[in-house]
Amino acid sequence: MQTQRGLWLFLVPSGLMIALVLLYPLGYAIYLSFFNYYLGGQEPSFIGLGNYTALLGDERFWSSIGKTVMIVAGAVSLEFVLGLAVAFGLYKLTFGVKPLNLLMFLPHIVTPVVAALFLRWIFTGRWGLLDAIIMSFNIFPPDWLGTPGWARFTVILADAWQFTPFMILVLYAGLNTVDSSQIESAQMDGAGNWTVLTKVMLPAIKPLILFVLAIRIMDAFRFFDQIYVLTAGGPGTATETLTMYTYALAFRLLEIGKASALGVLTLLLSALTIGLLIAVLYRRDKGAF
Amino acid sequence: MRPSRASQTLLFLALCAFTVVNLTPIIWAFLTSIKLPVDAFSVPPKLIFTPTFEFHYQVWVEKEFWRFLINSAVIAVSTVCISVPIGTMAAFALSRMRGSGSRGILFGLLAMRMFPHILLAIPFFVLAQGLSLIDTYPAMVLALVAINQPFTIWMMRSFFMDVPLELDEAARIDGCNLWQVFYQVALPVVRPGLWITCLFSLLLAYNEFLFALVLTGPSTKTLPVAIAEYGAEDLNYWSLSAAAAIGIMLPIVLFMMALQRHLVRGLAFGAVKG
Repeated sequence: MQTQRGLWLFLVPSGLMIALVLLYPLGYAIYLSFFNYYLGGQEPSFIGLGNYTALLGDERFWSSIGKTVMIVAGAVSLEFVLGLAVAFGLYKLTFGVKPLNLLMFLPHIVTPVVAALFLRWIFTGRWGLLDAIIMSFNIFPPDWLGTPGWARFTVILADAWQFTPFMILVLYAGLNTVDSSQIESAQMDGAGNWTVLTKVMLPAIKPLILFVLAIRIMDAFRFFDQIYVLTAGGPGTATETLTMYTYALAFRLLEIGKASALGVLTLLLSALTIGLLIAVLYRRDKGAF
Repeated sequence: MRPSRASQTLLFLALCAFTVVNLTPIIWAFLTSIKLPVDAFSVPPKLIFTPTFEFHYQVWVEKEFWRFLINSAVIAVSTVCISVPIGTMAAFALSRMRGSGSRGILFGLLAMRMFPHILLAIPFFVLAQGLSLIDTYPAMVLALVAINQPFTIWMMRSFFMDVPLELDEAARIDGCNLWQVFYQVALPVVRPGLWITCLFSLLLAYNEFLFALVLTGPSTKTLPVAIAEYGAEDLNYWSLSAAAAIGIMLPIVLFMMALQRHLVRGLAFGAVKG
């Protein structure tokens, strides 16, 4: 058994850095959330939970939660289903997997802002590629970015475009780790592809699935770059998620205190969602029914 | 069971179709960047045209996008130079420690990786303004180091976990102190992992938008902020901004193609394994 004394010294530089640039700002944000603080206004004044109660009575706050949940749920489930289908397809394919996998992955590594621009050139009304194609069939296309429903749909597609490749990559890697003797014995018993996938492979990679879903939900909660470039939260507030609303509060309206409170609520909400996800999947695991 | 040739071909074609649809936005942007406006806005879209690289030249040379490239490079490289060495030391310790303390730290780091960035952007903005650091490199670099640390530590830890403890013990018996074990024994073994971590941190910093939007200004603006501001509205600038967008994307694509083998580990920052 080697001596472990002194190992903690290795943690000091990183620990100090994290304390300085991560924990201190975080604490400061929580502190600010208790103040009535307009940037450039008069001295900030302590108002306790005032920002929080103001938010809870703020219709725009509740509607931004609704839109966030809708966009996160829509995007993550689309990514998961599509990602799983493609990953299983790749798993079954016996040739050409490598080049296909590489090409499929490209959208994921495009800088998010640039990805949003690419999609904008597809979805822009009249001049975009999609509209040009639809119009050449003499059909009048919808205004993808200009009507609330379609704008939310486009934002979900934007997230899916960039993160389905990530799902494919991780799920494909996971499927390949499943014990092949289990799959073969199921096939001997006459199980088809669907049964093998849902009854043998998916249960085997459950921890991995839980992990990617948690990662994606957390990331989708703070999804910002693409919405900012695609719709800037519009039309009106149709795609204004919690992050977009926080941005507007802090950097457009300069209501630093209220924005901080909203940030803290976002943090709690996303932690709660992940906790719930883990609890539900674990209970199923223990065979509660 | 051997899959039939027909079903394999069908599957292959289906996956090809998915890939083509998936790549359309990139291909379309590239075509737009080498089209004259006359060709770019024709309905139905033109596929046969005379290509021109004039816009690529204009955007990088005449519109001085190289300035933003320099800003991006300075910020990303500084971030890596601070974040990776200290993160690597911490990762070494965490890969050698046992007990609930180190588990707690690791879980805490994972939780920090999940913070909504907007929540950090607010205090960074207020503090940077108080210290007159807005539109300077240090503000942006420190913010990026903050969001980089959890990632760097988790990823490097997963590489150190592969270094057998016997190697440490043998070195101890030969009289190495802890620092020598780290620097002369463990670090050389994980060198490939170290490079991968550097490249992923570089990428994280290069792609960052929200902090750059809030903390940089006219003299430190990075590429993502520049392109987001540049002529997306005005149809006259379509070809120009498409050229810039393609140019921004290109180095990353080349990077990642080279790193393909390590993607899973990098993107999941080692947590799948941890």
